[in-house]
Amino acid sequence: MPFCAISRRQTLILGGVSLIALGLPLPAFAAPQVGSSAPEFAVVDTQGTLRKLSDLRGKVVVLEWTNADCPFTIKHYKSANMQKLQKQATAEGVVWLSVISSAPGEQGYVNAAEANRLTASRDAAPTAVLLDPEGKLGRLYGAVTTPHMFVIDAKGVLRYMGGIDSIASTNVNDVDKAKPLFRDAMQAVVTGQTVANPVTRPYGCSVKYAT
Amino acid sequence: MRLAQLHRCIRPLSQGFCVLIGLVFAALPAIASADESNAVVSPRATVSLISDADAVAPGSRFRIGLRQKLAPHWHTYWKNPGDAGEPTRLVLTLPPGASAGPIEWPGPERIEVGGAVSFGYRDEITLPVTVNVPSDIRVGETFAVEAKAEWLVCAEQCVPESGIFRLRLPVEAVSKPAGSDTTAAFDAADLRRPQFSPWMAGLAVAGEGFSLILSGPGLSPETAQDAAFFPDDWGPVDYAKPARFTARVGEIALALARGPTFDASQRVPGVLAITDSGGATRWYTIAPRISMPPAPSPATAVPLWQALAFAFLGGLILNLMPCVFPILAMKATAVARLSGGELREVRLSALLYIFGILTAFTALAAVLLTLRAGGSAVGWGFQFQSPVFIAAMSWLLLLVGLNLSGVFEVRTSGLGTWSGGRGRAGSFLTGLLAVVVATPCTAPFMGVAIGAALVLPPILCVALFLAMGGGLALPYAALAVFPGLSRRLPRPGPWMLRLRQIMALPMYASVAWLLWVLARQTGEGGLIAGLAGTAAIGVAAWLFGLAQRGPWRRPWTYGGSVALALASVVLLLSLKPVDAPVRGIAASEHSEPYSERRLDNLRAEGRPVFVNMTADWCLSCLVNERIALSTDAVQAALKDRGVVYLKGDWTRADPEITRYLRAFGRDGVPFYALYPAGSGAPLVLPPVLTETAMLDAIAAIPRSN
Repeated sequence: MPFCAISRRQTLILGGVSLIALGLPLPAFAAPQVGSSAPEFAVVDTQGTLRKLSDLRGKVVVLEWTNADCPFTIKHYKSANMQKLQKQATAEGVVWLSVISSAPGEQGYVNAAEANRLTASRDAAPTAVLLDPEGKLGRLYGAVTTPHMFVIDAKGVLRYMGGIDSIASTNVNDVDKAKPLFRDAMQAVVTGQTVANPVTRPYGCSVKYAT
Repeated sequence: MRLAQLHRCIRPLSQGFCVLIGLVFAALPAIASADESNAVVSPRATVSLISDADAVAPGSRFRIGLRQKLAPHWHTYWKNPGDAGEPTRLVLTLPPGASAGPIEWPGPERIEVGGAVSFGYRDEITLPVTVNVPSDIRVGETFAVEAKAEWLVCAEQCVPESGIFRLRLPVEAVSKPAGSDTTAAFDAADLRRPQFSPWMAGLAVAGEGFSLILSGPGLSPETAQDAAFFPDDWGPVDYAKPARFTARVGEIALALARGPTFDASQRVPGVLAITDSGGATRWYTIAPRISMPPAPSPATAVPLWQALAFAFLGGLILNLMPCVFPILAMKATAVARLSGGELREVRLSALLYIFGILTAFTALAAVLLTLRAGGSAVGWGFQFQSPVFIAAMSWLLLLVGLNLSGVFEVRTSGLGTWSGGRGRAGSFLTGLLAVVVATPCTAPFMGVAIGAALVLPPILCVALFLAMGGGLALPYAALAVFPGLSRRLPRPGPWMLRLRQIMALPMYASVAWLLWVLARQTGEGGLIAGLAGTAAIGVAAWLFGLAQRGPWRRPWTYGGSVALALASVVLLLSLKPVDAPVRGIAASEHSEPYSERRLDNLRAEGRPVFVNMTADWCLSCLVNERIALSTDAVQAALKDRGVVYLKGDWTRADPEITRYLRAFGRDGVPFYALYPAGSGAPLVLPPVLTETAMLDAIAAIPRSN
């Protein structure tokens, strides 16, 4: 009984499944898709300047989700890895936007003044810091962790989303051992090459969204 | 008071007090027995290294475990931490010669914090690791284990913690189990240990998501009230989106959202947690994919109409099996000859062919029933276990080949006429022969039909066999029903002669194969008898051909050929199966011979086992072995999972193997079963194997060390 019943049902299921799989185009994934236009946003940064993605056409844009108290973020700031990447990026004309999506009362939440102080004290060098306490920008991009990195090319197309590197740990010593997935992606986009690993696993603390 | 109880009772108290208690324990290592190390204590977690042995013996295996006792709201992570977090890491330093396996991750739970979903553990968890003690370590020495561990412990926020733990275990002649506290910790981890899933796991793509579908006996809304899936890797599943669970009798489904790297052509390995209506959760490893071939579970009772349908289908498939190939060749020539003939003749011939097949199947059923009544352990394809049958078949096919090659002609009615499929008796006998040659190849569905036949009342048994015969006869029967088909056949001409000669080749190939089988069954002596018979038959056929052609038409030529043929029959009687010398399967690098005792022992040890029942006369067995079993990838996968490969050879009758097959309701080979580690039920693999199917099945087994 099981043999026959399963075989037949499975055949039906598999048949139906293959029809669905072949007959329907894959529907759009809710989060942004690499290779498609990055979602448009307009957010005022901590210096009071409006940062609008469509105004940044012609430039490569990096989005970095951050949370100064998260051990994974701390790993990349303590090792100066993040600052180095920021300086390298801005020197090459890349617009680097650090995004803080922590809600008020949650870990990592800061106001504009505190954010600027933090940038100075960490010797960070982003083009600007965006505050997103309502989590709108974070949810628009499907940012899950801090850090979570996105690279948008000069035409406004999303080219990379994922982890900063390949070793998901809080250990500073792992920074040099890891494969620099984000750096490679950014360099590929800046030099107009194809990103080898366009979607990778983001690792870190969860983004402390408003609930 | 046990540490776990202590931990629970201090929970409501201040965390400072908790730290204090922890410090007291850490500061007083003398209190701890050999089976628990120093502890690293924070307000979030109390972590130590434990052993399930108080003393270890040389050459033994034991387990150590990182025990994490977590304060309320805090959690640590599984091997795939989910959206955020980091799995616990463990680096071991062991005495020279000792080795350790990976962390045997207990089944995790789903932890949702602020919209992000993590996979991990709350309250208390032990992460076990199996350690092999070298056999050259001396009694009286100390087996020292040092573990460097890093773990991330999170509530709303995350804190990385680490520690170095040391265990010093005395080496004694006999291992000594640990105390009840640490044993209980390992038991709790073992309860969460993912088991090999006894169900068939598939994957269906629908809308923006996909569904995991498990089917098989034992699944129902009661046994599975809820389920959660924990994929091994990041990518295919979007964890944060809600999953939708449905259950009905025999099948459960979990609808999930696709992650950024979902690929419908890839399998999605992971652990499925199933919670029953009593609230108890069990974890199962699965590796579902869309194209997963159906993996039948052991057959029991089959409804009659289904058995008949499958028998018919099985018969139909027999037309395509390699064993039937020579017969198909003969049918093709027969049809070619008939194309110029009368329609009535075609119809009659097809009917006679069907009648021949049905007669053969009825006879087989009768033989099977007789032997069954006699209590004989008999299986499908059993006639191929008889060397006399093999030798006779090889000579018969040699005669057919020589006839097709034109060495002699068959003009009279009688034995020879069937070979070319000419004439009415020929059609009937071709049908008979098709059945005899087809039997060793158990088509996928036929095993069940035969299994059912063996436990059914005799009349139903005969009905089943007739259904199978009907399936085998169907293609030819089409000629009888639609005589127009034969008009589309090519006109006769000189090409027929060439075709006939070409058709001799598969006959000669079959002869070679049968002689090889004979050699495996009877050893060198049997092979010599077989070859001598082959030579005699060859000369007999040549003499017979001479006698048919003018000047040599003399009584002595006929007489000579008949005498030689008789001599070969005498040779048949000398054929006896031998036992030891060519025991088909010796222990090889990869496999060892099957025996009931060996299997029982391995199962008692909880080792994963792959059983392959095969026979030299079974071509599909040999093909499977070639393309799916002996490949490097499959051998490496088996080795990687510590699977013991048992191979049973059914080339000669072997009651142990027959019993084993009967236990699964089967009466033929090939037969494949994969037993998971522990005591889980075996997974019966389909008789037509592919490398991918094998790898899928192996991948679904949890790692055993």
